[in-house]
Amino acid sequence: MPSPTRHAAGLLAALLPTALAAAQNGLPAAIDGAEFAARRQHWAWLPLAEVAPPTADGDPIDAFVNARLQAQGVAAAPPAAPHTLLRRLWFDLVGLPPDEVALTRFLSEPSDAAYEREVDLLLASPAFAERQARHWLDLVRYAETLGHEADYAIPGAWRYRDYVIRAIDADVPFDRFVREHVAGDLLPQPRCAANGDDESVQATAFWWFAEQTHSPVDARQQTSDRIDNQIDVFGKAVLGMTVACARCHDHKFDAIRADDYYALAGFLRSSRYVQKSLFAYDPSGPEFAAAIAAQRALTAAWGAAGCEIEAPAAAVDLRDGDVVIATAEGDGGDWIRDNDAFGAAPWQEPWCSLEADAPPTLRRLPGAWWHSGVAGTARQGVLATQTFTVAQPFVHVRVAGRGCRVQVVVDGLNLLRNPIYGGLHRPVDREEPHWLTFDLRAWRGSPAYVQCLDQRAPDLADEQRGTDEYPADAWLAVQAVIASEHGEPPATKGTLQVQAAPADGVPADVVAAAEALRRARAALRVAPTLPAMGEGTGVDAHVFLRGKHDLLGPVAPRRFLRALTGDDAGIDADCGSGRLALAAAVFATDDPLPARVFVNRVWHHLFGDGLARTVDNLGALGEPPTDPALLDWLARDFIDHGWSRKHLFRRVVLSQTYRRATVADEVAEARDPRNQLHHRQNVRRLEAEAVRDALLAVSGLLKDERFGPPVPLPHGQLVNARGWPRDSGPIDGAGRRSIYLAVRRNFLSPMLQAFDLPTPFATVGARSVSNVPAQSLTLLNDEFVHLACAAWAERLGDARADFDQGLDRSYRAAFARVPDADERARCAAFLEAAAAEHGTSRDAAAPWADLLHCLVVTKEFTFRR
Amino acid sequence: MSTPRQPTRRDFLRRAANGFAMLPFAQLLHDDGGPRVPHHAPRAKAVIFLYMDGGPSPQDLFDYKPRLVADDGKPFAMKKEPTQFQKDGNTLGPRWPFRQRGESGQWISDLLPNLATVADRLCVIRSMVAEFSEHTNANYFLHTGHGLQGRPSMGAWIDYGLGSASQELPGFVVLNGGLIPPGGVDNFHSGFLPAQTQGSVFRMRGDVVANIAPREKNSTWQQRKLELVRALDAHGLQRDAGGDAIEAAIANQELAFRMQAAVPELTSLDGESPRLQALYGLHDEFEHTRTFGRQCLLARRLVERGVRFVELTCPNTGFDRWDQHDNLVKGLENNCRAVDRPIAALLLDLQARGMLDETIVLWGGEFGRTPFAQATNGRDHNPYGFTMWAAGGGFRPGTSFGATDEFGYKAAVDPVTIHDLHATVLHLLGIDHERLTYRFGGRDLRLTDVYGTVHRQLLA
Repeated sequence: MPSPTRHAAGLLAALLPTALAAAQNGLPAAIDGAEFAARRQHWAWLPLAEVAPPTADGDPIDAFVNARLQAQGVAAAPPAAPHTLLRRLWFDLVGLPPDEVALTRFLSEPSDAAYEREVDLLLASPAFAERQARHWLDLVRYAETLGHEADYAIPGAWRYRDYVIRAIDADVPFDRFVREHVAGDLLPQPRCAANGDDESVQATAFWWFAEQTHSPVDARQQTSDRIDNQIDVFGKAVLGMTVACARCHDHKFDAIRADDYYALAGFLRSSRYVQKSLFAYDPSGPEFAAAIAAQRALTAAWGAAGCEIEAPAAAVDLRDGDVVIATAEGDGGDWIRDNDAFGAAPWQEPWCSLEADAPPTLRRLPGAWWHSGVAGTARQGVLATQTFTVAQPFVHVRVAGRGCRVQVVVDGLNLLRNPIYGGLHRPVDREEPHWLTFDLRAWRGSPAYVQCLDQRAPDLADEQRGTDEYPADAWLAVQAVIASEHGEPPATKGTLQVQAAPADGVPADVVAAAEALRRARAALRVAPTLPAMGEGTGVDAHVFLRGKHDLLGPVAPRRFLRALTGDDAGIDADCGSGRLALAAAVFATDDPLPARVFVNRVWHHLFGDGLARTVDNLGALGEPPTDPALLDWLARDFIDHGWSRKHLFRRVVLSQTYRRATVADEVAEARDPRNQLHHRQNVRRLEAEAVRDALLAVSGLLKDERFGPPVPLPHGQLVNARGWPRDSGPIDGAGRRSIYLAVRRNFLSPMLQAFDLPTPFATVGARSVSNVPAQSLTLLNDEFVHLACAAWAERLGDARADFDQGLDRSYRAAFARVPDADERARCAAFLEAAAAEHGTSRDAAAPWADLLHCLVVTKEFTFRR
Repeated sequence: MSTPRQPTRRDFLRRAANGFAMLPFAQLLHDDGGPRVPHHAPRAKAVIFLYMDGGPSPQDLFDYKPRLVADDGKPFAMKKEPTQFQKDGNTLGPRWPFRQRGESGQWISDLLPNLATVADRLCVIRSMVAEFSEHTNANYFLHTGHGLQGRPSMGAWIDYGLGSASQELPGFVVLNGGLIPPGGVDNFHSGFLPAQTQGSVFRMRGDVVANIAPREKNSTWQQRKLELVRALDAHGLQRDAGGDAIEAAIANQELAFRMQAAVPELTSLDGESPRLQALYGLHDEFEHTRTFGRQCLLARRLVERGVRFVELTCPNTGFDRWDQHDNLVKGLENNCRAVDRPIAALLLDLQARGMLDETIVLWGGEFGRTPFAQATNGRDHNPYGFTMWAAGGGFRPGTSFGATDEFGYKAAVDPVTIHDLHATVLHLLGIDHERLTYRFGGRDLRLTDVYGTVHRQLLA
């Protein structure tokens, strides 16, 4: 028997769930107005200071830095030697060692003007975007699989990687870039590529790189964790704030309250995962409309030949308690449509499908249907209901078609798999109208929606199929979604009518019309897809008390962070998710937080440390900037120059501060041991990708090829486990830059990992720089390293015959300089020994490969000064 | 203008932020200043974690319940929690007889006849509880104290806290018997801790360590190549001072070079007596006993050489790890056959060498299994009450701690959480689990999150 106290609590809980749960669970009192206002004075929340460089002459960055150096009595290091500077510039901007052309050009006359020219050439090169895109991918925990047990593919994830590269290459303003990330699917004027692809929508893929469990026992928990990861990444990558710390309680230190967190969660609960076409959504666009018109012309041609199908009688007999969730009757109802295939309106006319070995046969469904097969199979479509609460135990969906599927997404869990969720995911493979019945007894009270996937719409967890490997000849028609107490579907009238084959063959006009339809369909490009944000039913989230999804607190209306908007006004979200308003709110002030955050990140990439070192957390627990005035000035300059990345990089690398040597005098070193005053440049180990790409570059294995599906890793390098990649790739990664290698969560490249490629689970703005034996073992013994050195020796060719020439060329490729006498003598002696070891002449490839391998293992190869 | 100068040893010490090139490897690891441990006198120096991937069945191995025998085949008499497969069947009694073993009288079933002979060494915890019903979350939780990817593994924390006592080997080694658990190598990851603390996976087939084998035809020639590298590196440092990170990388290269020799020496078992090899099961007719026997013997050799945390993953005996959703009998028989003899041998060998007192041997999986059947011949996942055991290193021998209910379903007496287990293991290593922290993402994070109690009744 329950104790009286418990019982009373139960009654109270029913009456006052929020207050009681708060009291029972010790919800900490929200930080009050005074405390919030005090926290709001933290430097990162404040507007940019209006500062001018201390001196009007010369480079503004140098003016800031030199003023502090003078004030502290610290002498700056001299300028770096030209070869050191050029090598630094190449690795920092494009992630490759300088090539022979640039070396010759710059070292012959290393003037300021020549340096500036090199900078501009590099900023304009595609390699710049490839290098900088990888930094951004670290922030959004980019991966091509979902990790967890099965490591399912995220179909088309790599298209997002290409989007980032293109956007940086085109110098898309950073504020625009961020808006596209938040709401690229909703922008009134999406950016379109020359071929018509919608660029903007592709940015939203970043929301869907969260790790996902394929069959969690608690779907609601899983969805809450996924949203938490999305908020965490958005907060850190864009805002430099640990917003996700406010999941369980108000932030311990920053001006972020729990209701700020849940205000953001509402945007995500109101949005859906949709595998979206790269084509801008436009079912009334000319190509699609032409295909529809050709379909109607074909039907008319049959009609003219005296062949018609009467509209079949249609009816659905609802019973007491049956609830219509959605129907294609009337104006088509309140459905959410993505991509083109289901057209602009439901279809109730006859149609012809075009099969290869059959005459064009008229078909007609009873009543009005959303139909994906009228215009052909090139386009795909996703048709979904609004979100409803599961009140009845069964949902019946009336469908017809083949090669397609229908699923019920419960609790926002978009990964529906066995053993638990298999029943929520059903194939459609009959052309005769029929009901699919979903048993939702286990999910009463949960939010859900029905999602109908046309054949080319891949889904998360489609194993390792590519996005373009779907059955070509398939279609889906959907008539109604009914919730019911009955396990049996409602009775219906009407069947699929199929025209009888004409006795005297197909008339010539019909053949011609069918040919015209075939041509119109062929003109429709097959739509590639990628994971993207789609609109859902707008809903505000409840605060979860203590972060627990089963303890609901008050509703937190959707809005941006109070610390930045200055008030609690919710966004104007009459319909849909409201993400467009969120994107606007991020940039609503004159001093958007992302400017400081991004400028600081670029400084980190060019110096090894941010002006504020904790680049992903500018909050109270982060480190404050060493030079706040410089940070604010740079942020303002960035905004004033149209949020241009290339301007920002140019601004910094042209400063003398950037160009200094890494070695300064003893006094300076003693006074500024952490180099917080930037009296010198920092010595830095190359990042994983730069190590591998440098090996490709010097050896000549590097392929000048951009974009495309990821290059699989060689199976031999991986430890076998579940989710084992289907394909094995070549040892040299086909000569592709590292950003194009496969990023499968459970099978990351061991070589890149040894050099600190981050595990993609959260925002990593500052990679760790470790020092593990695996790095040395890789350089000493890895098959790829030896292969590259052998290729390099081959590439030297005739130059091997002249030792000095061969060595000079190799040193220039590896270190951007020629060897000194001591190095030359040691290398010569080694080559003699190597020739003896291999039993070859001195100019053979094998001894040279050994010599070049030694150069690769030296620290000068993997460090930049 | 001043001229650049040569770096001095004092420079490296003064600028501690960037590494101690000339100091032992253990100190090299702590280039951030590192934790200050031990916090108190340690009982143990090392941990061998026998990780039973998949969730072994306590009801068939350690947790003897007469009621379960009596109710076998009847409807299950308690309220059931949701399970992974939702194919719950009737009560399923143990398929093997249980007996009391040794002077301590611990209950162990006939599935583990060799382990039964060392029952008096075991501290059996029958009241473990975990928080996740799916393998991957449960694996991350068991390993890292957190259900999602990205946190440091227990071995990484211990390596971070204590540092490797070896000059030639990393401090956290995973001996991979063939199975990598769901969640992958992230179960052994360093997370936000310095990457050196990451578990180095040694394989039991092919090269034990990736890239450990030189590609040069002979070691003299590799030496000659390295001489050139050393000379060029030294020359580079002469010319351009200020390269602390470079000095550290050079030291690291020397460690890698030593590993090339140390790993083959480690894995060569020629020096182990034939009798001992037989004891470990290295000549067993069952292939998987041989594999796991080699892992156990290597674990002892790693601990002897100063490695702090050795984790063993199981061989693949063909029945999906210890995850007996069906094929309960055959699966358990094969798994037990693979590990029973080697584990008993490991405990006896450690004791004979006087190492058991200073080495924690930990056995268990990410959760237990249901006392009711999944369909007819399987058990589903059960995080609500399961068994793990520890031996040596200050754990109380010959003890059974805690209890589940009469069905062996849920922990009923003295529940021990994963965080408690972590806290207790750290305690025996001289580490206060609340003080071994690392600042990441604005918080001081620790293995035990904000939980964990040291269970003193488990200690000798």
